[in-house]
Amino acid sequence: MNWRTIFGLNVLPDFARGVHPPEHKSRTRDLPIETLTEPEVVTIPLLQHAGAAAECVAQPRQQVTAGELVGRRSASGISANVHASIAGVVQAVTAVPLPNGRRSLAVPIRRLAPGEDSNAVAPVADRLFGGVWAESDIAVARPLDILHAVADAGIVGMGGAAFPTDLKLRTTPERPIETLLVNGCECEPFLTADDRLMREYPAAVVTGARLAQKACGARQIVLAVENNKPEAAAALLAASGQFAGFRITVVSTKYPMGGERQLIPAVFRREVPTSGLPLDLGIAVINVATAAAIAGAVLRGQAMTHRIVTVTGGGVRSPKNLLVPIGTSFQTVIEGCGGVVTDARRVLAGGPMMGFTVTDLTAPVTKGTGGITVLSAAEIDSAEQTACIRCGRCLDTCPLGLAPTRIAHAVKFGDLALAQQNHLAACCECGCCAYECPARIPLVQYIRAGKVELAQSASE
Amino acid sequence: MLTAAGVMLVLGTIFSGLLVVASRHLAVEVDPREAELAASLPGANCGNCGFPSCAQYAKAVASGRAGVNRCSVGGPPVAERLAALMGVEVAATYPFRPVIHCSATAEQRLLHGDYRGERTCAAAHVTGGVQGCTYGCLGFGDCVASCEYDAMILVDGLPQIDYEKCVGCGACVRACPRRIIEQIPFKADRMLVVGCANHDPGKVVRSVCQVGCIGCSLCARAEPQLFSIKDNLAVIDYDVVTGHEDLHAVHAKCPMESLVYFGKPEPQHEEQLAGVASPGIAGRPHPVEHGLDWRG
Repeated sequence: MNWRTIFGLNVLPDFARGVHPPEHKSRTRDLPIETLTEPEVVTIPLLQHAGAAAECVAQPRQQVTAGELVGRRSASGISANVHASIAGVVQAVTAVPLPNGRRSLAVPIRRLAPGEDSNAVAPVADRLFGGVWAESDIAVARPLDILHAVADAGIVGMGGAAFPTDLKLRTTPERPIETLLVNGCECEPFLTADDRLMREYPAAVVTGARLAQKACGARQIVLAVENNKPEAAAALLAASGQFAGFRITVVSTKYPMGGERQLIPAVFRREVPTSGLPLDLGIAVINVATAAAIAGAVLRGQAMTHRIVTVTGGGVRSPKNLLVPIGTSFQTVIEGCGGVVTDARRVLAGGPMMGFTVTDLTAPVTKGTGGITVLSAAEIDSAEQTACIRCGRCLDTCPLGLAPTRIAHAVKFGDLALAQQNHLAACCECGCCAYECPARIPLVQYIRAGKVELAQSASE
Repeated sequence: MLTAAGVMLVLGTIFSGLLVVASRHLAVEVDPREAELAASLPGANCGNCGFPSCAQYAKAVASGRAGVNRCSVGGPPVAERLAALMGVEVAATYPFRPVIHCSATAEQRLLHGDYRGERTCAAAHVTGGVQGCTYGCLGFGDCVASCEYDAMILVDGLPQIDYEKCVGCGACVRACPRRIIEQIPFKADRMLVVGCANHDPGKVVRSVCQVGCIGCSLCARAEPQLFSIKDNLAVIDYDVVTGHEDLHAVHAKCPMESLVYFGKPEPQHEEQLAGVASPGIAGRPHPVEHGLDWRG
């Protein structure tokens, strides 16, 4: 029992600062995961992850099965495999817009016979996450085999950053991983995909986490869930109760609890060094959806072909938690949810805090797309930007303790050195500062622009 | 009192002697031409020659590490002066001036979003949602703001360059977050430029722009020495271009009208322009009339 409990203060693990945006999760939190009818065409981007794009290995007019490799990870540096998400015929390589405003080469795949096979085989959700995970299979899996299976399946972090998971779990003797932190916070407003996954398929999450633990050699697993998801915590507790060294921690609900630099201080009361990684503390952090994907990849040989996407917001007719083949266009996914209402105004890839506005609805769902939020006119703040009044609210909310207004103004006036002095690169772009800013200054956008400028000036 | 003065005198004499010796033995030899070269340079310290300042460039020229024709602000007169000082011949020099590899006005760019972020190119570049094209001009005018010589203005969301004022300092090239401004040698008054930077397949380009290069290679077939298609985009080799060839046929051939002329207007257009009261933006004189096939 620590002093917080004794004084009856805030007994749940928490981090400093942060914000409490309205959650808006009630639209979809009680809706079971549905599977989207297989779309006619999927467009699989070769760049869905942090790092270098995969190299296309599929030929036009080639027939592929679901889960077949279409992009092999680039030999140079960080990259990940990409796979066909439906069975069909490969079309000529094209370019698709990515939600973050970039473009990537992509492999379109046209479905063969409409709807023929989607009902014949076991439902995708059962194939990926359902059923029983045999204890004997987990016992025989060897660390290196797990890492190879994860790499072959093209698994990347599904929390958003899309960093290749096998690289994250690979340890060196100098820097061992002591603790595996499984992140089930899902602090982003509106989104409930991880919540549903934890509630419906806790065994997959637990199994994946244990496999990841084996792969990285961690001694304990801590699975963190925010206290606004009691059902998920209960389900996971029931599924993991019998395993030693597996702890479920309920943390307080606060944005951005799901960021690793916030979650680690909250759970372990240790700070991640500004220029360091959680690995420096012997901690590896993976998302719950990533954990479930690891289970499917290692024990069932399932490549990363689908992901659960929350389609929500006041602008969509029937919000859903949908299991979607990767590469399905936003248009198709939204149509699968009854389309948009008349005063729908804006489509976001992700939630409102960290999501990107998407203008081209041909953009495909990628491995990192956790949600599609369609905002109606009423949900959009149309206040105009005004001048900074130096109120300092952004400093009070920044979970990393930065001075966002200073960084943003330094970037605005082209002083990158000053921006760096104020730790431009440390910003995690969570958006708390811009959310709180009474002058509606797009602080994060400045910071993001500054990071891009910094990278450009470094490369020149 | 006297002792103190005496000590100071002796010390002063000793140290001055030391200084004399040091200045003899440790003197840094300076090329006498260096000062003259530096005096011949415009002193803009723009960095466009590849050296941080005019003095550094002068030093490099004096030591023979750099050619005499790299000052774009000074142009040929400065190159000749430097050549005279160094006693070398000037190879033909051309002024390097910026051109913009995007010719789409705001209306010609498709898939506009409801962009509500900061209205600078640098900020808009890091988000989606301004327009479909992820290569082309964003039209918020970071280059215009960076121009120290008032040589750029925005017309229809596209920067236009006044080549009378432009000195080729390259500030706009550095300001553009999409890197679509390039300095090319102006071997003639008007230079043909590929007004597009989009490397996507033609179908995708058409979906985002009305005038984007679709990589059809009509130009490359008409003038194979000058044009090539690299990564779905026409490229002009300005080392080969002499400036004297007549490229009007190729210009007319481009189905997407993505080939544009930069530089001085043609005589007939000049006449046309004489009668046009310049529209002007923010009180500045406006050197061009849009709707014609040249910009500049």
